[in-house]
Amino acid sequence: MIATLRYEFLMQIRRPIMWIVYGLAFAVLVAAMWPGYRTLDLGSGGGHDPKPAMLASAKLTMSLLAIVYGCLLADRLIRDRRLGVAAILDASPSNPGGRLVGKYLGVCGATAVPIALVFFGRAVVYTFTEGKAETLAWALAVFATVILPALIFLGALALAGPLLIPPLVFRVLFVAYWFWGNLIPADMMPTLSHTIFAATGDYVEYGLFDRARPDGVVYGWPDAALNFLRPAATPAVAVLWMGVMVALAAAILLLTRLHAARSES
Amino acid sequence: MRIQINQLTKTYKGDVHALKGIDLDVPTGMYGLLGSNGAGKTTLMRILAGLLRPTSGTVRLGGDDVTTKEGRLAVQRTLGYLPQDLGVYPDLTARQFLDYIALLKGLDERSVRRRRIGELLEVVALGEHADRRLKGYSGGMLRRVGIAQALLNDPRLLIVDEPTTGLDPEERIRFRTLLSHLAGERTVLLSTHIVEDVAQTCRHLAVLAKGRLVFQGDVGSLVARANRRVWTVVTSGAAPSTGRIVAALPHGSGMRYRVVAPVPPDPMAQPAEPTLEDGYLALMEAAVPA
Amino acid sequence: MKPLDLWAHELRRAGPAALAGAPALVLLMTLLAILGARLGSRESTTAFMLAGALEMVIPLITGMAAASSLGRDQAVELQLTLPVGYRSTVLRRLAATTGWTGLCAAAGSTVLTLGGWWELLPVTPHGPAVQLTWLAPALWLAALGLLASAAFSSAVAATTTVALVWVVEQVVAGPLQGSLPSRLLYLFATTRGTVPDDWTANRVVLLCTAAVLVAAAWPLLGRAERVLGGDKE
Repeated sequence: MIATLRYEFLMQIRRPIMWIVYGLAFAVLVAAMWPGYRTLDLGSGGGHDPKPAMLASAKLTMSLLAIVYGCLLADRLIRDRRLGVAAILDASPSNPGGRLVGKYLGVCGATAVPIALVFFGRAVVYTFTEGKAETLAWALAVFATVILPALIFLGALALAGPLLIPPLVFRVLFVAYWFWGNLIPADMMPTLSHTIFAATGDYVEYGLFDRARPDGVVYGWPDAALNFLRPAATPAVAVLWMGVMVALAAAILLLTRLHAARSES
Repeated sequence: MRIQINQLTKTYKGDVHALKGIDLDVPTGMYGLLGSNGAGKTTLMRILAGLLRPTSGTVRLGGDDVTTKEGRLAVQRTLGYLPQDLGVYPDLTARQFLDYIALLKGLDERSVRRRRIGELLEVVALGEHADRRLKGYSGGMLRRVGIAQALLNDPRLLIVDEPTTGLDPEERIRFRTLLSHLAGERTVLLSTHIVEDVAQTCRHLAVLAKGRLVFQGDVGSLVARANRRVWTVVTSGAAPSTGRIVAALPHGSGMRYRVVAPVPPDPMAQPAEPTLEDGYLALMEAAVPA
Repeated sequence: MKPLDLWAHELRRAGPAALAGAPALVLLMTLLAILGARLGSRESTTAFMLAGALEMVIPLITGMAAASSLGRDQAVELQLTLPVGYRSTVLRRLAATTGWTGLCAAAGSTVLTLGGWWELLPVTPHGPAVQLTWLAPALWLAALGLLASAAFSSAVAATTTVALVWVVEQVVAGPLQGSLPSRLLYLFATTRGTVPDDWTANRVVLLCTAAVLVAAAWPLLGRAERVLGGDKE
C-alpha cells in the first residue's frame, strides 16, 4: 500500500496538466473575486479577525477548486484499465484492497496539494501583512476540519464514479451534483445543500467555529425541504459531519473494491 | 509507386534525433523495413503517410513531394495506412467503421462503397462478423479490419506498421500471406521488428538502427552478412562468452548454442548455415556494438 | 456537403453515453413541468429549474462533449492520414453532437412555451429569440471546450476547464454581472437575470466570442504532430 501510495502520489504530482489547470483556476478565482481577494476577509465584512477570514477563504477555495479536484481525479482509476496496467497489477501478489487505498491516498493527496498551497499561501501572506501569527494556527485548524473531510469524500466519489458510468457522463453529473448538492440555497429546491451530506463544511463553520450567518439567521432554513437532514449546528454535529464524510468515503471505496472483485470473478 | 527519400532527418522537441540523414529508394512490390524498437521506423512511416513533417530532406512518392501540402494531399488520396496502434470506434460495427472511413477517403457513391466493403470483408475473412460491434473483436480481427480499411481506396501505396505484433501464429501467417497477395502492382511497405515476417514476405528490405539506415538491398545480401559468422557449439560447460547467442537448446546433458560471432566462439564450434535473422544480428552487431 | 451517411456515422461514433444526456434532460423537464405543482414546488422555482435546464445544463453537456472531442478519438492516427482534413472532421463531429443536443433543447424550449413558464423568469425572451437562451451559452461553452481540448491536448484538462468556468459563473454571478464586459459575457443571463435591455446584446456577444474561440482553436487543430501527441495518459 505504501509503495502504491508513493508511486501514485509522485505520478500525479508530476503531471504538468494538473498544475496548468489549477493555475488557470487560481487565476480565474482571483480575477472573479478582485478586488475583494486582496482583503483579509475577502470582502465579507469580517474585519481583521483571522478566524472568519480563514473560514471565508476555505469556503471560496472549496467552492471553486473542489470541482477541479474532482474532475482531475475522475480518470485515475479507469486509466489503469485503459492502459492495460490493471491486469498486470492484479497478477501481482500485492493485496488489491491495500493497492486501492494506496492509490486513493496517493492520487488524492497529490491532487489536494495545489488546494493546500492556495489556502496556506493566503494564510502565510496575511500572517505577515497583518502581523498575526495565530492566522496560521486558524488556517491549520480550518483546513483539517473544513477542507480535509470534504476532500476525503469527494476524492473517493470522483475516483469511483467513472467505474460505473462513462467518464464524460460522470464529469457532467459531478458538476451538476456540486452545484445542486452544495452550492444552491437550501430553500430553493429539494437539495443536499447545507445538509449533513453536503461537502462544504458548513457544520464545522457554524457548529465548531461559531461563525454567525451574514444575514443574522441561525443555522437552518425553515422553508426548505429535507430539513430532517439539517440538524442544528453544534460542535457534536460538526464532528458527526466529519465522520459522515469519512464514512461515505470508506463506503465508496468498499463498494469499489467489491465491484472490482465481482468484475475479476 | 516508387519511393525516393533523400537526406531525410527528423528531430523532435528536446533535441531527440529520430531520423538522421536517411537515403532510401523503395521499388514497387513488397518491401521490408526492419529495426529494433526505437530505431525510427514509425517516424519514417508517419512521414511517408503525411502525418509528420520532416525536419529536412525530401520524400517523393510516385512523383509527389510529401513535404508540400499539395503533395501530401495527393499521396493521401492513394495511400492505405495501417498504424501500429490501430484505434477503432467501439460502438460501430466493422461494416459501419469501413463505411465511415470510405466516406472520409472520398468514396461518396453509396453503391460503390457497399460493393467495395463487401469485397474487402471477404478478403479479410470477416464477412460473418461484419455486423458485430468492434468492441467485441479480438486483436487479430481488429488487425484484419485495419487492413480492410487501408485497402478501401485501392491504394497504390500500402504502409503497414508492425502489423503482426500481438497476433497468434495462425493469425500471423494468415496476415503475412494476405500482405504478399496484395503486393502486385502496388508498393507495400512492411515495417516490423520481427525478422521472420520480412523473411517470409519480402525480397528487398532496409534496416534502421538508431535513426540511421544501416542496410538496403535484397534479402540474400543481408543473409550473406552472416556468412562464416554463424556457429554451433555443443557444451556441458559455460555458455560461449564471445559473440551473440541466438538460440540455446538442451542437448543430452549439455546445451547446444547457436552463436553469431566473427571468430569461432569455442574451439569445438562448428560453422552453420546463416538465416536472415543471423544476417540481421551480424549487421546490428557491426552497426550498433552491444 | 458530405453524404448524410457520414453525419449518421458521426452520431453513432459518439456513442450512447454522449447522446443520451440531452433527451433524458428534456424528459425530466417535461415531467417537472407537469408534476412541479403537485410536488410542492413554487411556480417561480419550477420556472427557474426548467429554464436552468436549458440555459445551464444543455450548455454544460455540449461544452463537456466538445472538450472530449480530441482526447477521446481512438483512431486519431488513422484520421490524420486521410485526405479529409482532421479539423473539418472535428468540426463535423461537434456540429453533429451539438445539433442533436440542440434539437433536444428546442423540444425543451417548447415545453416552457406551452406551459407559459417564460413569463415567470427575470428575463422573458420572445419568439425565435427563445432559442438563444440555450444556443448562445451552448455554443460558447462548446467553443471553449474545443479550444481547451486543442490547447491542452488533454480531455481531462479541457473538461475541467469547462466545468470550472461553468461553476465560476454560478458562484460569482453577482460580481460578474457588476461590470459591462463581464455582464455581456455572462452565460446565464436569462435565469439569473441581467440589466434590462442587455439580454440581446449578451446573447450576440456570446455568439461572436464563440466564433473567436473556434478561430483560436483552428490553427492548433491543424498541427498534426500536436494532435497526435495528445492524451496518452
